[in-house]
Amino acid sequence: MTARVASLLLCLLIGAVQVHADSGPSGYSAADLYNLANSYARMGKPGMAILNYERARLLSANDPDIEANLRYVRTSAHLPVETRGSFDRVARIASPLLLSWIGAFGLGVVAASMIAAQLSPRHRLLRGGAMLLGLSMLGLTICNGLALWPILHEGVVITAATPVRVSPVPMGDPLFTLPEGETVKIAAEHESFALIETRAGRTGWVAHSNLAPIVPRKK
Amino acid sequence: MSGYIFLLRLMTAVVLGSFAAVAALADDPLVYATIQPAQIALGESAQFTITNLGDGTNPIITLPVVSGLKFEIIGRTREMQIINGTMLPSSSIVMRVTPQIAGIFTIPAVTPKAQPLVLQVTAASGGTSLAHTAPGAPLPPPILSGGSIPKGVHLTDDGSAYVRLSIPKREVYVGESVPVDIEVGMRSGFVSSLNGLPKLTDDNFALNNLSHQPERAEKLINGEQFVVFTWRSLLAVVKPGTFALSAEAPLTVKIRTRPRRESALDDRFGDPFWQNLFGATVPKDIDVTSPPQQLKVLELPTEGRPADFHGAIGTFSIASDVSPGKADVGDPLTLRMRITGSGNFDRVDSTMLDHVDQWKTYPPKSSFNTSDPVGFSGMKTFEQPVIASKPGTQELPGLSFSYFDPNARRYETARSASLSVSISPALADSLTPPQSAGSAGPENKYAAGLRPDHAETATPTSSLIPPYLQPRFLGIPSFIVLAFAAGWAGARRRRTLSVSEPASDRPSSRAAKRVLAQMQAAARTGNAAVFFDSARTALQPLLATRWQIEPEDVTTAEVEARVGAQDDIHQLFALADESKYSGRELNTTDFARWLRIVPLLLTNERSS
Repeated sequence: MTARVASLLLCLLIGAVQVHADSGPSGYSAADLYNLANSYARMGKPGMAILNYERARLLSANDPDIEANLRYVRTSAHLPVETRGSFDRVARIASPLLLSWIGAFGLGVVAASMIAAQLSPRHRLLRGGAMLLGLSMLGLTICNGLALWPILHEGVVITAATPVRVSPVPMGDPLFTLPEGETVKIAAEHESFALIETRAGRTGWVAHSNLAPIVPRKK
Repeated sequence: MSGYIFLLRLMTAVVLGSFAAVAALADDPLVYATIQPAQIALGESAQFTITNLGDGTNPIITLPVVSGLKFEIIGRTREMQIINGTMLPSSSIVMRVTPQIAGIFTIPAVTPKAQPLVLQVTAASGGTSLAHTAPGAPLPPPILSGGSIPKGVHLTDDGSAYVRLSIPKREVYVGESVPVDIEVGMRSGFVSSLNGLPKLTDDNFALNNLSHQPERAEKLINGEQFVVFTWRSLLAVVKPGTFALSAEAPLTVKIRTRPRRESALDDRFGDPFWQNLFGATVPKDIDVTSPPQQLKVLELPTEGRPADFHGAIGTFSIASDVSPGKADVGDPLTLRMRITGSGNFDRVDSTMLDHVDQWKTYPPKSSFNTSDPVGFSGMKTFEQPVIASKPGTQELPGLSFSYFDPNARRYETARSASLSVSISPALADSLTPPQSAGSAGPENKYAAGLRPDHAETATPTSSLIPPYLQPRFLGIPSFIVLAFAAGWAGARRRRTLSVSEPASDRPSSRAAKRVLAQMQAAARTGNAAVFFDSARTALQPLLATRWQIEPEDVTTAEVEARVGAQDDIHQLFALADESKYSGRELNTTDFARWLRIVPLLLTNERSS
């Protein structure tokens, strides 16, 4: 039994090292993205500024500076300002990286509690407490996923007066235009175009050159 | 109604005659000029006539000088005219007026009292005519009064109409579009109506793009005035061979009801008024046909045919460009290919654009600007949106287009040069701060209320996707789940074992079940030897364990010695020997009895 637990911990350690090894100097950090957004804002590019504030907020959801500057740029660009709900605040209480490990640990605690219950009927209160703790940690991670899932499928308009077309071709007839900095939901993609849905429920195709997803596409 | 018209025309003739008589009685001769027709196309000529009515002497004139017009004296005439019963001598000077350029020309008046004349020269007909003439070839001779009948014009028997078909004097090829002109000439006053469009008499050819509105002109042919309609079209050639090609047009002409010699005045004036005045005519529908012309149609040669040839026949050149010359990754560019020349443009397609690899492409759209009414010459433009997927200096390869040149009689391939485009990385994918960031950047409404930058403290991550959604991280919870499943199964097994029979009995129990199964199978087949041998084999180890002897020492005699001859165990051993060596048979009742006894014996032996 001791050998099994040791093997489990070893595998967890190897996985953690592997995940952490992908971090590098060319990656994303909340501070870098925040500073990049500030640079774009100073240049008068609200679309790129909002895009990078949103990206920074993915990594550091409760940074007051990011929140303040994002709200300021949106207001200056005459765009609607989002208000975060209590669920969003709780679900994004920590960074997704930390919550990933919390969730994995919680899953392990739940599993260990269930196995222990099979092996011995003793320490029922302790096992119950551990099970509750594990489920809470796992639930927090799931809530974080639910809160972030819509953001992972959103994009920001990065050019002024972006035409939204009826079909995914450059010569498609424009339906309406979107202001720079508008956040839209990306419903589908076709070649160089994305099918977007605005907050008002209007849909159409926007060229990738006019729109940047908050989570960058894989290259 | 017809009587009223007749009376009106008669009165008009009387009034005109009165004016002429007044002129004849005047002391000064009447000198006037006419030009026929007043509107011509570039390449044609008009007849300019100066008439001296009254003294019969040739007027002393100097040639008019008009920039862009060429005047040539081609004849002088003298004749007597009877006007209102008075015979007056007249003399005329006939000049040919040939325009050098298109436009509206004013010819000065020949006398101070006369009015200047206006000649309108259009470029359309002349341009088409020039386009159909080989470079450097002389212009066709103008049709003038007194000249011979132009080549290709065959008047009908009564001289009222003709149809002329103009086709190239060379061999043509299947699939080629051949420009043709169909000219229908109708003598003024002799043809009532044109009853339909002209057509070809040979079904092996088809006329494409035949214009519904023909060009109209007035010409003098053999001294008579004709109204000439010219249709321009493209001849579609679909079949090889040698054909006699002609065109026909349905007309309604006026047939005289009097002998021709009595109708000289009608012919002279050529006007329905005089025809009605001096004799009756009746209408008749006829088909006027042009003289047949030989046309040889050849198959396209297979030798040297390029793989990308798609049926274009003619003379073409291509050019391409792309705009804008600089773009970001993902921005659409427009690649334009222009094909200029003459030929069957309907076979000029965009397949050459299929070879633009490494670019995202969209279906091209095409437009055709023709320089003639039938679409034989012009420029076809293809516009294809392309999107670069990689940054850097990207090259759009040169395009090629293959066609068959009917004049050179060989396949040609036109090529355009390759194009270079500078593609910048997409702004959204760049993590580098913009060039004008920081203090150097211009202040704007967004900069004033921003909170300051942050110092770099956290370790960068390679992806913005939460780790719990990344495949490499999902291996960890997956491993936990698998470990949990294995641990759960192990715990369940351990718990089950703890409440089950002792381990030492389980193999015997399984052996007893196996023996009973064998005995049941033997009972079904009636095999007594196997039936009792199986039972004895199962009992031997149990008895050997109880008696502390080897299993092979548990024989019938040993059993009799230990438990007695009446015991079921001894009887079973005895029956086993008997059935094995003597072949004793058992009935169904015996098998059922021993199937009940043997499990009891086995159970007793295990418990003891």
